[in-house]
Amino acid sequence: MALLDVHSVSKSFGGLAALSNVDLQVEAGRAHAIIGPNGAGKSTLVNTITGREIPDTGTVTFDGAPLVGCQPHEIVQRGIARVFQTPEIFHDMSCVENVTVAALAHRDGAFKLNFLQHPRKLRAQRESAENCLARVGLQDKLDARAEHLSRGDKRRLELAICLANQPRLLLLDEPTAGMAQHDTQGTVEVLRDLAREGMTQIVIEHDMDVVFSLAEQITVLHQGSVIASGSPDAVRENEAVHEAYLGGAHE
Amino acid sequence: MINPLRSESVQREAAVMAGVVAVFAALPFALPLIGGYGELAVQMTAWAIFALGFDLLVGFTGFLSFGHAAFWGVAMYASCLSLIHLTPNVIPALIIGVVAGTLVGMLIGYLTLRRYGIYFAILTLAFSQMFYFIALSPLQGITGGDNGLTGIPNPLFFGTQLGDWHQIYPMMAVIAVGAVYVARRVARSPYGLILRAIRSNETRLQYTGVNVRGYRFVAFLLSGAFASLAGTMLAMYETYVPVQSLFWATSGEVVMMSVIGGLGTLFGPMIGAGVVLYLENVLSASIEQWLLILGAIFMAFVIFLPGGIVEGVARLRRLVLSRTGGDTNA
Repeated sequence: MALLDVHSVSKSFGGLAALSNVDLQVEAGRAHAIIGPNGAGKSTLVNTITGREIPDTGTVTFDGAPLVGCQPHEIVQRGIARVFQTPEIFHDMSCVENVTVAALAHRDGAFKLNFLQHPRKLRAQRESAENCLARVGLQDKLDARAEHLSRGDKRRLELAICLANQPRLLLLDEPTAGMAQHDTQGTVEVLRDLAREGMTQIVIEHDMDVVFSLAEQITVLHQGSVIASGSPDAVRENEAVHEAYLGGAHE
Repeated sequence: MINPLRSESVQREAAVMAGVVAVFAALPFALPLIGGYGELAVQMTAWAIFALGFDLLVGFTGFLSFGHAAFWGVAMYASCLSLIHLTPNVIPALIIGVVAGTLVGMLIGYLTLRRYGIYFAILTLAFSQMFYFIALSPLQGITGGDNGLTGIPNPLFFGTQLGDWHQIYPMMAVIAVGAVYVARRVARSPYGLILRAIRSNETRLQYTGVNVRGYRFVAFLLSGAFASLAGTMLAMYETYVPVQSLFWATSGEVVMMSVIGGLGTLFGPMIGAGVVLYLENVLSASIEQWLLILGAIFMAFVIFLPGGIVEGVARLRRLVLSRTGGDTNA
């Protein structure tokens, strides 16, 4: 059974159908890319999975349990972490604090009355935060304020925050956008390592090199509908995809 | 900012708390030396705890409440009504005052915390004004209306009358030291880290799996409990509750004190409370329009030193250290 099962999800804003009858199955341990031209509904799809948007119709099932109607933090607690298109980080806190918050949320759950707990009880979380930061290559910037990082480093910090949640499914909305070439390379390496360790990933990406070097499955969205889904080779050969997207003069 | 990841040192914390004890012990003796009077220490201590609680909400989570007068005032009425109608014993009055104020916090918090920024400020303001008008007229049989609540007996502490400021101040000082300890403990706990994260980026916090609304609500209650405790103590000392204690100007005053002292630093708002009360009592004796001066001071801080007195001291220290070639990280 698929780890994540999006079944026949539709969502419109006003009269505009952002998603119509979208199906998506993500197998456990796979890296699954979602591609499509701007406005294809990729971000809306991610939003419906993570509880930001409630779909008009359809179901989203994670590990056998329905997600529609859950609060975002409940969805995260079930094991879905998310990297945003514009990095969402704690700007006025240090890198290690940023990640420690996530490690703490992993330890204590969504809510716990921990307001008189001694700070030494955070040591293990701090260590786990340092490991996550080392994993994404930020081991030298533990005490740097998040807002002073470069754009690429902010994205990596957000990835480290997600890793501290120890998710079963990682959703990445353009994880390499705005990164320099060698930064992109580094991030792709990290994501491939994670995939090898069996972490399920959904990646939205415009950079086709990244998509084809990461994804084992690709789903193509166009104007809110799935027009193709399958292995990278199958998608590469697909006529409809060429017409809608890959063959487009601008890509 | 107090940092849970860096302030593990027990010795340092003990030294800070020793300093706090020393300040509260010296306050009534020091005030007469600088043109004040010992009794002012009671006022300062109560307002300092009020401002400390205010900072736990506003300084840490970034939710600017304009309704803290509700906790302060309701706690005053509740504790003094207990002194009049139940028992003059100080302990039940303290407990009843804090519980009443915190219940008000639950009600207001539940209704207002779903809104942000200016909407939250206006909502808290409106709710606290509701309490003011309820106390003023519909409940004037109980609250004394415009005249305030009078006829309150001096509180008793196991047979000892706490009528004079000499007698009540030691109890207040002990409670204040306890309040500072608890507030610092909260700030340094995992909870403190989460409160800062709320102010920093609520979306990210939610997407790390934290129930933001739950933590925010507890911060609001905690803040309300501190304000209630402060109100309770001051009212029992004054043996009088003015209806103005519920008026919005009371909320405004604690906002002003906190900003002048430095939001988010815990000590800042307490220092701010001390400074404002000192100026209020010393300046108002010689200058009739001292409120104008206070307003000017407030504006000067907001414009030139938004971090308040605490930031000013930190800047001075850096300046002195760089002049003398000292280690700025010390």
